[in-house]
Amino acid sequence: MDIVEKVQEALYDVIDPELGINIVDLGLVYGVGADDEGNITITMTLTTPGCPMHDSIAAGVEHRVSQVEGVQDIHVDLVWEPAWNPSKMSDRAKEMLWG
Amino acid sequence: MMPRADMKTDTNITLPLSFIVYGLIALILSQFILFFSSSSLLSGQFRIPEIWMSAHFLLLGFALMVAMGAMYQLVPVAFLVQIWNEKFGFVQFFMTAFGILFLSAMLGIKPNFAVYGGILTVIGVFMFLLQMERTMKKVEKKSMMYYFVIASLSFLLLAILAGFLLVWNFAFGGIPNHEAILYTHMTFGVAGWFTLLIFGFSYKLVPMFSLSHGFSMKRAKPSLIIYIAGLSFLVASFWLPVSFLDILGWMLLWAGFGLFVLDIKEILQKRVKKKLDKPFIFSLIAIGSGFLIHTIALGFSLFAVHHRDIWSWLIFLYIMIWIIFSIIGYLYKIVPFLWWTHKYADRIGKEKVPTLKEMMNEKLSIYLFILFSVAIIGIIISFSFASGKLLFIFLGILAFTSLVYGMSIIKVLVQ
Repeated sequence: MDIVEKVQEALYDVIDPELGINIVDLGLVYGVGADDEGNITITMTLTTPGCPMHDSIAAGVEHRVSQVEGVQDIHVDLVWEPAWNPSKMSDRAKEMLWG
Repeated sequence: MMPRADMKTDTNITLPLSFIVYGLIALILSQFILFFSSSSLLSGQFRIPEIWMSAHFLLLGFALMVAMGAMYQLVPVAFLVQIWNEKFGFVQFFMTAFGILFLSAMLGIKPNFAVYGGILTVIGVFMFLLQMERTMKKVEKKSMMYYFVIASLSFLLLAILAGFLLVWNFAFGGIPNHEAILYTHMTFGVAGWFTLLIFGFSYKLVPMFSLSHGFSMKRAKPSLIIYIAGLSFLVASFWLPVSFLDILGWMLLWAGFGLFVLDIKEILQKRVKKKLDKPFIFSLIAIGSGFLIHTIALGFSLFAVHHRDIWSWLIFLYIMIWIIFSIIGYLYKIVPFLWWTHKYADRIGKEKVPTLKEMMNEKLSIYLFILFSVAIIGIIISFSFASGKLLFIFLGILAFTSLVYGMSIIKVLVQ
């Protein structure tokens, strides 16, 4: 597994506290990038702009990713474009929310 | 223009929580006062000091203070701006808290002294309005939610001014048309301020809590305009001897509320989260209840039902099952959210942290909401059958449920 895959795997451990579902299955993670030195950039969004949890979720992402072997600096790029919509969720997340 | 994602707009948690904890204590106090005044209620005597005291602890102490606290939290979230001045917010809290306490207590003990509490309350509300004006001025994207909030704040100002005229009359007399001012005060406060505020924030909270997407909000603008027109005609009917004004007013209020209900229905139809949290469902039921009351009021006006006791009970129901029940439901979401952010925000991703749902006892909430509903239905049945015993029992249930509800919310804060 390369470092990007390890980081993507780790992001499954970061849970949205309102919905109880991880941010990857929710479709909040738009991209994970890494350079040769192990510096990571994560591009992500949230379901609601202005959500007061955005600091805590971003910080949670940083901390979890920092635990991945080989990771150096981490930059979480929180964006609002493109806006999140339910089609970005995985089937598993849709199943959990809708049954 | 999209907001910058790094913009910090969070309010210091102590500020909204101060208002909310004060509000919960006022709720419990108001219901116990009502319980001990049950014999007066049965004879339809709403205009007595004990009922004024209970009503003001409920509407100002609980509903107004909780609404203010919630706005300190929600305005930054909804409009992506920081509160203008948090220190000013704390001063405003103490001014308003003391003013409401003195006003409400004096209404029950020595009504001609209530004006002094009224002065402090008016100052406190003016401070809140200034805070909101300075904050809302920074809003870049003026959505329909913005206009709902501005409208509700305007009606709060008018309601408080009318209320002040009333307590001035208690103390010093001299202001004519006391009855018209009273009805105006009630209409602007209950239907103007509270209803429009709940409308506005429902457009944010309902999609958020149901994870809804792709809804239109197309009825928001006509709903606001028609509802304000309805308020204007209804209030005009208190002042002008023109027969159709009140009917027109109630018709427009019903139509405005109906349009809001249709929008909420659309939001819920387009939700992704099928199973909704019970407290949130309670707030949604409150919307239906509010529309029912508007329908009954329209019916009463069309069929020229003018009996004062009946209208008094309708207003009691409007306050309880629309406004108070909405707030009670939403608080079960807002308080855990505030406390979670304070206690667990920096632990996410480091250790297992509870979800918001795990912070509240949802099973208990179901029992509480059922008891609230049973109490209100029981109170109406008691009045219908003029049963003092039944009324005493159901008011007791209401008071006890309020106590347990308050304790369950405060329990979250001591976890």
